[in-house]
Amino acid sequence: MPHDVEFESLVERFYAPLYQFAFSLTRVEADACDLTQQTFTIWAKKGHQLRDASKVKTWLFTTLHREFLDSRRRQTRFPHFELDAAEAELPVVSPAAVSGLDIAQVLNTLASVDEVFQAPVALFYLQDCSYNEIAEILGVPLGTVKSRLARGIGQLQRLLARDIAANQRRSNL
Amino acid sequence: MTITEAKTVLMLYRPGMAEAEDPQMAEALALARKHPELAGWLEAHGTAQEVLAAKFKTIAPPPGLKEQIISEHEASRRAVAKRPALLVAAIAVLLLAGTTAILWMPWQARPPEKTLALYRNDMASIALRVYAMELMTNEPGPVHDYLTKSSAPDFTLSAPLQKAALAGCAVETWQGAKVSLVCFRTGKPLPPGAASDLWLFVVDRASLKDAPGTAAPEFAKINKLITATWTQGDKVYLLGVEGDEPDIKPYLD
Repeated sequence: MPHDVEFESLVERFYAPLYQFAFSLTRVEADACDLTQQTFTIWAKKGHQLRDASKVKTWLFTTLHREFLDSRRRQTRFPHFELDAAEAELPVVSPAAVSGLDIAQVLNTLASVDEVFQAPVALFYLQDCSYNEIAEILGVPLGTVKSRLARGIGQLQRLLARDIAANQRRSNL
Repeated sequence: MTITEAKTVLMLYRPGMAEAEDPQMAEALALARKHPELAGWLEAHGTAQEVLAAKFKTIAPPPGLKEQIISEHEASRRAVAKRPALLVAAIAVLLLAGTTAILWMPWQARPPEKTLALYRNDMASIALRVYAMELMTNEPGPVHDYLTKSSAPDFTLSAPLQKAALAGCAVETWQGAKVSLVCFRTGKPLPPGAASDLWLFVVDRASLKDAPGTAAPEFAKINKLITATWTQGDKVYLLGVEGDEPDIKPYLD
């Protein structure tokens, strides 16, 4: 049936990037699978309400992100950041040193970045979405996305530089 | 553009992505072409970023996930399809109810369009269906700013609502008038796909023919939503939450 073909092709096209985003947020395979599956279940129930077919990707990413936030049932409030200049002095992490890290270490470091920056930074590195799409997925203005990205990438780099330095100290002992 | 400003812009540079054509990005890239130190910084930063992006791309879904999603969808569809008798019964009840309603409904002119009752129904429908929250924030300042920029009605919160967990806002349109939708969370578990469960709609009083005359809330139950409506200054406020009067009263002055 056409509807089934449509659903299957949608899964085929988006399940991997959605899983990558989910895993970047949860760092747990089972949770990432649940989030990905739940996203498609919601699509099956409510996807027909989406009138603009070009918005399917952002709809799916938005739904997954909302499901993630809901699953966390965060009680804490997070601040709203407006666009401003990022902190100027950023440590440049050497590509060779970054190459030595595995994805689990990178995601553990990402988990130490302020929570509000984690989703935009993951979407930034996954490179599936433009800034406008990231803004749509997170439900914030474009300027806020750029601000969060600049701060989030800055924090991630600082933390990676710290981790790499600690690794080097340990290997020198 | 200074070198520091260029670094701030170039920090977000992803070669091959659409944002490379952004004028600010283009200016920073042009500066990097002329400035050896900035060019060196960009090369080192860009390479590290590419390595990081490549690491994110190594995240692989576990084998069978795609098949599991599709098979569960199939199973869910089959489960629905196995209930034809129930479906036939439901359709029959709906047809009967519809026919009865038509037969009993007295012939009358269309109701006035800008009534409070219609507004209340339409807003309840917006709250209960999936809507897009245009701004997600827990801070009231950005919500006021966003509504002002969108030329939507601003609002004043009751003391209890000031303490409620703000989730964001959206701007809706009703009969040509802009309606501000301010979303909150009650703290109860949210249903799947929902981002909020307490909604405040604000519209200009002039948009309604029979706006409430006082600040005393009028309660009305629409489906599973209990609503309270009142007038404050030149605005009409409609607050909605799932439940009954005791569920909404804690949020009113």
